[in-house]
Amino acid sequence: MNVEKGKICSMQLFFLFAGFVQGSVLLVDFAIGISESQTWMVILIGLGLAIPFVLSYVALAKRFPGMNVVQINDAVYGRFLGKTLSLYYIFFFLMTLSFNIRDVGELYITFLMPDTSFIFLLVAFSATCAYAVSKGLEVLARISHLIALIGIFVPICTTILLIDQMDFSNFLPLFELPFARMLHGIHIMMAIPFCETLVFLMIMASLDKAEKAKKSILSGLLVGTVSLFIVAVRNTAVLGNTQTIWTSPSFQSTRLIDIGTVLTRMDFLIGIAQTFLIFFKCCLFLYASVTAIAQIFNLKTYIPLVLPVAGIEVILAATVFQSKVDHAEISQNAGIIYSAPLMFLIPPLTLLIAKLRNLPNKGGKNDS
Amino acid sequence: MIYLVLIYTVIILFTVPDLVKRKLKKELAVFSVLCFIAFVLGLLYVLDVPIPSPMKGLHKLIVEKWGIRYPKQ
Repeated sequence: MNVEKGKICSMQLFFLFAGFVQGSVLLVDFAIGISESQTWMVILIGLGLAIPFVLSYVALAKRFPGMNVVQINDAVYGRFLGKTLSLYYIFFFLMTLSFNIRDVGELYITFLMPDTSFIFLLVAFSATCAYAVSKGLEVLARISHLIALIGIFVPICTTILLIDQMDFSNFLPLFELPFARMLHGIHIMMAIPFCETLVFLMIMASLDKAEKAKKSILSGLLVGTVSLFIVAVRNTAVLGNTQTIWTSPSFQSTRLIDIGTVLTRMDFLIGIAQTFLIFFKCCLFLYASVTAIAQIFNLKTYIPLVLPVAGIEVILAATVFQSKVDHAEISQNAGIIYSAPLMFLIPPLTLLIAKLRNLPNKGGKNDS
Repeated sequence: MIYLVLIYTVIILFTVPDLVKRKLKKELAVFSVLCFIAFVLGLLYVLDVPIPSPMKGLHKLIVEKWGIRYPKQ
């Protein structure tokens, strides 16, 4: 029995997916330090390489309609191994959620509200996420189009306003990045914006027509990538090689907007957009975490778990890294390496085993 | 400290009576365990007791012990 009773349509899945990918726009900064002016290329290659993996998540959801990843693991691997794998998924959801909550705290402390207590920001943000999640997936799905629109509107607006300051020679020379750095950048890009979408294995179970998932997911992925691509191109064109020295290249580039000394200090737009986008991403991660925990224990509802899990996340977010340097160093190495099997190996393997074992059986025995 | 106790009192007062009324015993047990973990973590944070980071441990294991990492730039 699935713990979520609500249903979403394929259009809502499209906006959820697009908003989720756009939520990683702040995290493009992790790759900028490595891939520098070739970040746009890394995004496109990352997208190309991530698509087969994302399609494997969709294929898995289509093969087991109405079942989330915890139920799929139980059905394919049996109760013990299935539950162990599900714990790995939950650990990934909880850790990624804590990174994203911390990102918001760091964003506010560094750029917007430097005198405010860090823990207060984390508590306020997590409480808002918990409130949204306790309203259910359908409510999140209903606001998803607004989030996705913000995610596309703000990068386009700021790019247009910065056109006079762009220097496209900043992209030259092309193909000068060493192979190892290119590979590292591609891995970051595949892992963070694109393959984190494996969280949708908890959400696609609530889709009313699973057969339409592929089109929605691919369109959402494309829209999300367009936002990331615009941001990467804008930052490189405006800041050039100096983008690697700024804490947040997006903030720095939009601070340069100056239209007749009237339209200035437009970085508040980035602040607003990133708050909304990361809020949305955190809501989906929190939703996935609590539904997965509820599913593992076979609970009837996940709502009582939302506040305690949000409470754990606040402390995890406050203590998981010591500084921004620590955050970048760990995310660029252990952060993407520990999650690699979960993103690139387990879902395709699960799909293969399900095909070989001809699962799900029509008798419905595997719906545990 | 006072805020922490206050927050968790409110959470418990809002959640537990409803769970008891609906006789959701398993949900109440999982809620209690998670609430306890969250409260203890909060208490350690408030009392400035160092809380080990799972990511630091993973970083030590993967990067420092197993040597799996991308070359330094």
